[in-house]
Amino acid sequence: MYSGQQKISFFNYKELLFAWTSRIIRARYQQSILGGLWAIVQPIATVLIFTVVFSYFLKVDTGKVPYIVFSYTAMVPWLFFSTSINEMVESIVSNMNLVAKIYFPREILVFSTLLARLVDFLIAFVLLIILIIIYKVPVNLPVWLFIPVILVCQISLALGIGFFASSINVFFRDIKHVFTLIMQLWLYATPIIYPISIVPEKFKNIYFLNPMVGIIEGYRAILLYGKMPDISFVFSLIISVVVLLLGYTFFKKIEFRFADII
Amino acid sequence: MNQKIILQNVSKRYRIGKSSLNIRSLFKNKKSEEKFHWAVKDINFNLGAGEALGIIGPNGAGKTTILKLLSRVTFPTSGKIELNGRYSALIELGAGFHPDLSGRENVFLNGTILGMRKAEIEKRFDQIVDFAGIEKYIDTPVKRYSSGMYARLGFSVAAHVDPEILIVDEVLAVGDMAFQKKCYDRMLNLIRNGTTLVFVSHNMRAIQKVCSRSIVLYRGTMAYEGSSSDATAEYSNILRKAASENSETELENLSDGIGQRIMTQKAIIEKVEIYRDDGLPCHSYQSGETALVRAYVKFLESAQSPVIACSIRDPEGLIVYDFTTEWAQIKTPDFEANTKAIIEFPLELNLSSGTYQLGVNLAYKDLSRYYDRIDRALDFAVSSSSGSRGISDLKANIKIMNESGNPL
Repeated sequence: MYSGQQKISFFNYKELLFAWTSRIIRARYQQSILGGLWAIVQPIATVLIFTVVFSYFLKVDTGKVPYIVFSYTAMVPWLFFSTSINEMVESIVSNMNLVAKIYFPREILVFSTLLARLVDFLIAFVLLIILIIIYKVPVNLPVWLFIPVILVCQISLALGIGFFASSINVFFRDIKHVFTLIMQLWLYATPIIYPISIVPEKFKNIYFLNPMVGIIEGYRAILLYGKMPDISFVFSLIISVVVLLLGYTFFKKIEFRFADII
Repeated sequence: MNQKIILQNVSKRYRIGKSSLNIRSLFKNKKSEEKFHWAVKDINFNLGAGEALGIIGPNGAGKTTILKLLSRVTFPTSGKIELNGRYSALIELGAGFHPDLSGRENVFLNGTILGMRKAEIEKRFDQIVDFAGIEKYIDTPVKRYSSGMYARLGFSVAAHVDPEILIVDEVLAVGDMAFQKKCYDRMLNLIRNGTTLVFVSHNMRAIQKVCSRSIVLYRGTMAYEGSSSDATAEYSNILRKAASENSETELENLSDGIGQRIMTQKAIIEKVEIYRDDGLPCHSYQSGETALVRAYVKFLESAQSPVIACSIRDPEGLIVYDFTTEWAQIKTPDFEANTKAIIEFPLELNLSSGTYQLGVNLAYKDLSRYYDRIDRALDFAVSSSSGSRGISDLKANIKIMNESGNPL
């Protein structure tokens, strides 16, 4: 039992959150020539591969929107989601020397890992806007105001999963490998490299249980079709908030054992 | 209610053995017994503002566990810990330093981890860099720092957090003497300004310098609590007891002399006595008198030409006199197993008035280990009428003369 006047709240550590985020970013691009440009190299390379496959070998119908813009729109948020989860899983374990030596709210390690990837996401998003202009996709700017809501929803989902995974990974390092696998499968269970129209009708009910479907479709609706997201996004939003609350509660319950196990 | 730190019956248990399950143990279908180890048990102490507590004890006594409990890194299994005030823990220097980032960036990072606000760090930045003495290298990545520079910068940041409670592990072993002195001065300064300090060290001199009170930990329990000088003396007794319980115990850097060595108890100093030159046991002497120290030794195994030593310390632990047969190049005889011997030293007590502690020890010929060592076998007092102060009485027989040498 601890007591005393000093109550440590997340808020007191706001500055640490930003300091740690900037540490991750700066360390990542230290001694690298391309630096922040790496944030767009990865989604572009991935999209180019799928563009070759799906525009030339297996033709996929993406309507009026060229395939490359169609898939890049989804690939940028997806890579933010999957990369940050894969990194969050290890965020506690890879800082074990700190966790075992100094007290600070451990969720900072998880959250800052995600924030550091958010910066990459924003850089890649700028390129997305350029692509939209180059390919003359019609733009409906007022609905763009809804993008932050989708982004917050996506971050909540990722963070909730990150809290779960990073704390369990302290006890069982298998989680790291499990998540690498899950993220690979999840990519194909989400309409990123293909349009949702090719999903057979009889699977649609199960398909929409994946909260990332509503999120990705939400991005496409706004950016490519100038529409507000449909009802499936509301479902994603509810799931994301629940996952975040559960994940964070779990994390705080188990946090005190980290230093002993590590 | 002015207590800054209160520990009530604090205990911490660790599970030992395999930490987590794996596939193989699942298939074995055998419930492996969980084993527990009490790292610390029933620890109690209170500290108010401006108080400093030293924690000493052999390796594995639970010192680090207490520090981790105090810094909230780990939680007690039972008991209560109360911390009132902003604290800074120095369990590892430069925690969170990233090797690729510059000294400047790391100062900010480390400072925020220790709970400082960015504005506060900016305000103290020059002081921090100045204290560490690395102005020239502040924009160099810390991976190019020497370990000394790294540690200096780490200590400097932590010492400028301006904490109400400061927890310092033995991290000052790095750095040169001048920097260590700077660190101790900084700690004393903080204490004077009301900081509560908990300091773990193997360096008895440092503990005595910084802390008025100390506790001795042995096997997770508080074996002694009292003034730092008494605790230091008690520590050697505890080590001796430990040595007789299990055959070999490590002797940590007990002040100077033969440093980090082992006590084997293959020979035991059974009794140490001190006599006046008329043969009567006596514990108070006039300065300049001769006292006869007699030690009774029992050899459990044969000993080849052991090194015999005796030392006198003042109550602060400062060595006033230290004598060994090795330094004096005296060849000692060999001793058979299961024999006894009596060793006598006549000592001319040219000491100033005060109390002194007499220690006797017996080391292996190659000085690799001790047979037995008692740092405080007995205390004696010296009184002097010469009016001198200090530790030795050099009998200044003062004469005052005029230019031509005639007494005035």
